[in-house]
Parts: sequence; C-alpha cells; structure tokens
Amino acid sequence: MNNNDFDLYKQFVKTTFKMRYKGSILGFLWVLLKPFFMFLILFMIFSRVSGSSSGLTSQQYAVYLLSGLIVYTFFNEGMVWGMGSIMERAGLIVKINFRREVVVASSLTMALINFSINLVIVIAVALILNIHITFLGLAYVLLICFTMFLALYGVSFFTSIWLVHVRDLQHIMELVLQLLFYASAVFFPVEMIPENYRFIVYYNPVARFIKAVREALIYGRVTDIKFVLLALVTSLILVIIGSRYFNKHIKKIAEHF
Amino acid sequence: MEKNIAIKVENLTKNFRIPEHGSPNTIQERFVNPFSKKRMIDFTAVNNLSFEVKKGEFFSVIGPNGAGKSTLLKLISGIYIPTYGNIEVDGKLVPFLELGVGFNPDLSARENVYLNGVILGLTKKEVDKYIDDIFEFAELKEFQDLSIKKFSSGMQVRLAFSIAIQVKSDILVLDEVLAVGDGEFQKKCFAYFDEIVGKKTILFVSHGLASVKKYSDRVLWLKEDKTYEIGDPTEMVEKYSKTF
Repeated sequence: MNNNDFDLYKQFVKTTFKMRYKGSILGFLWVLLKPFFMFLILFMIFSRVSGSSSGLTSQQYAVYLLSGLIVYTFFNEGMVWGMGSIMERAGLIVKINFRREVVVASSLTMALINFSINLVIVIAVALILNIHITFLGLAYVLLICFTMFLALYGVSFFTSIWLVHVRDLQHIMELVLQLLFYASAVFFPVEMIPENYRFIVYYNPVARFIKAVREALIYGRVTDIKFVLLALVTSLILVIIGSRYFNKHIKKIAEHF
Repeated sequence: MEKNIAIKVENLTKNFRIPEHGSPNTIQERFVNPFSKKRMIDFTAVNNLSFEVKKGEFFSVIGPNGAGKSTLLKLISGIYIPTYGNIEVDGKLVPFLELGVGFNPDLSARENVYLNGVILGLTKKEVDKYIDDIFEFAELKEFQDLSIKKFSSGMQVRLAFSIAIQVKSDILVLDEVLAVGDGEFQKKCFAYFDEIVGKKTILFVSHGLASVKKYSDRVLWLKEDKTYEIGDPTEMVEKYSKTF
C-alpha cells in the first residue's frame, strides 16, 4: 500500500462518515440512538423472562443484551457494507484506475468505527451499573473484534464481486442476517432454546462470538478460546484466498456494472 | 519497448459479452422463464488495433459515436482489460475520462478538492501544497467553503480541471474534457495545452475537429466498421468530415 492508497482510504472513510448522517438533524447521534432504541425495546420486553431464566440480574441482563446487540450489529453492518462497497463506487471504478481494495477496506472501517463507539458506550453503561470490567476481559473482546474484522474482510472480497453479478444477493443477505439475529441468541439466553435445537447456536460463529464477548465483559472470563483462535486462523486464510480471488476478478468488474 | 515510445498498442481487440435484452442481473428472470436460455451477444468494441504514441506527442483519436474511442481510452487507462493483444505504457498515466470524477455534491469545494485530488493519485500532502494554486487557477477562491452543488456546472468543471492539471504525470488521457465549459474556460485549457505540448504525451479524444487539427501531431481515425487509419491531422480530419 503506497501513500496515495492510504490517503485515499482515509478520504473515503471521512466522506462516507460525513455523508451517512449529513442532512439529518441529529446527525451522528443516530449511530447511538438506533441501537439504543433497539436495546430499550428488547430490554423492556425480555428482561424479565430472559434475565431470570439464565440467572442474570437486570443490570447484568442489560449488559448481556447490549453486548449481544453491538456484536451482531458489527457483523450485520460489516456484511452489508462490505458486500455493497464495490457496487456503491461503480461510478468511480469505471472512470479511474485506483486500488479497488481501498473501497472494501474503507466500507468495513465504517462498521468498525461504529462498533468501537458502541463498545465504549457498553463499557460506560457497565461501569454505571457496577459491573466490574477486567483488563483481560477487554483485551479478549478486542481480539474477538479483530478476528471478526478479518473474517468480514475475507468474506467481503467475495461478496463485493458477486453482488455486481447477482444483485439479488442484497436481498438474500438481508434475509439471512435477519434469521441470524434470532439464531444468535442476541436477546435470550441459549438455555431457552430446546436442547435438540441448540446446535444452531453451537455451529453459528456469530453466536459463539457474542457469547464469548458477554462472558468477557460481564464476568471477565476468557471462554471458548479454542474456537476464537481457530476462527482467527480461518479468517486469515480467508483474507489471503479472498484477496487473490478479488484481485483476479476485479479487473473485469468495470464491464459488468 | 523502444525508448521514445510512450504507449504501444499491439493487435488490441476488446469484446464485450452483453445480455440480449434487459438486465439479467436478477434471479427473478430465471424463475419467470426457467427454460429460456440467457442469450448473450458478443460485441466487438475495438478490433485488431495497433499503433504507437511517441513521447511528447499530441495524439488524437477521432471517429463517430460507438467507434470504440472511449473503450480504447479505458483499455489504455487499465480500467478494462484487453480480450486479445497488448498494451504497454511507459510513464505515469493519468486518465481524465471525465472531469470531477468522485465529486460529492454535498461536500464543500475544499473537501471535494481533497477527495478528487486523492482519487486522481495525489497524496494528501500534495493537495495541501497545491490547494491555493488550484482555487487560484479556478478563480473560485471565495467559494471554497460552499457546497459544490451550489456551483454552476461551469464552475465545477473549472475546479475539476484545476485539480487535474496539478497531478504530475507523463501521459495525459483526455476524453472530451473540452466539450463542457464556456469559451473562457476553453481558452484556459488551450493555454495550458500550449504550455505542456511537447513536454507531456497527450492522448486526446474529441469531436472538436478544429482543436484536433490545430494541436495534434498525428490522428487515429476509428471508423464505425472497426477499421482505422492513422495519419496527418489535416488529412484525417478532412477524410473524416466527408463521411457526414
């Protein structure tokens, strides 16, 4: 990556950031308000049922729910924005030959920025609610976040290209992500799922990440480390293969818009 | 490649595979019509084209719409890849297939200079250095903080051109950039051309035959039937003018 590529990346992030909330009165506050209302709704409806059935106090359930929401949101935004990144910049891509990867990276960075802000808020809420956050727990959350970012990056190398060829992917992705929301035990404890269906959560990496983040934030425990490390290695491999695939197919993309 | 050659195009062919009717980019059509095969048409935009552009040469491309001019420029700029044949480019090439690519209407002029400059290959530091010159040349100094959608199209083009000429390059690829802008702006462009003629290699596409005749060293005439001729500007322009 040369100087210009990096400057270009920063410019893209800056513009996208500015544009996303421009013209709305509350502007950037929406980044915080949307998950907050989602949280409020789910909390009011489920705190009794979900919280007590898993032995969580309502403070703990608040952090439980919030951390689930922000991890899911990170994944959701990363998938959607990463996939749409090339499509979104079609106008540029057919006119100028610049490093296309920059587009994917900057879109994912947007998701990462949102996640970071959300994480700070969750930590603040946890501190207010007297939940002790340990350094180790936080470090583990950051490792998981890094792993997820790599995974999203790797996947986006493929999906951003595929979307140009098959526009339906956008709608399919929406559906899948919606299903995933329910299959990731975001607002209810895994124990609420009948035992013979629990494999859904077990084989769902997002659910595993969410669970690990929760344990790390609420109890300061490092759990499921084998899975996280395996995911990290898998994501790395995915990035390598994905970047090859991307570089091979991106050259022809300008003809397909 | 020989030393004095800036662009070398050898047996260049570009085919596009386009769907016969409408966009088949949704699965819906498959559901609606599961038995109809997706029919594709192979369309040849550039056919077996060879030429060389010398360093410092002002090389123009003329021809009717659909003759493959823009496709050729996109191939040389690396946006499309050739189906057959070779393209070699010696030196830093900056394509201006359109002025103001990536301008964002909601951002201020200043922010857009940064965005567009970086897209064209400048670093942020370079934009920092040139930004005053850019607004000076565009004569838009007092509008720096105005959002660019408030600009007239002429003002936008002036700004875009001023950014473009700050990009250090050996080869300029210009596609119809003079088609827009008023007389005064065109004068400015030509003054700039006078300055760089002979120093930079210029690949110029235009329907403005007068300027093609005036500035070019050689002209490539792409015809509708995908044949071509290369030659002296006056002769080529005259021959081409006879076809309509």
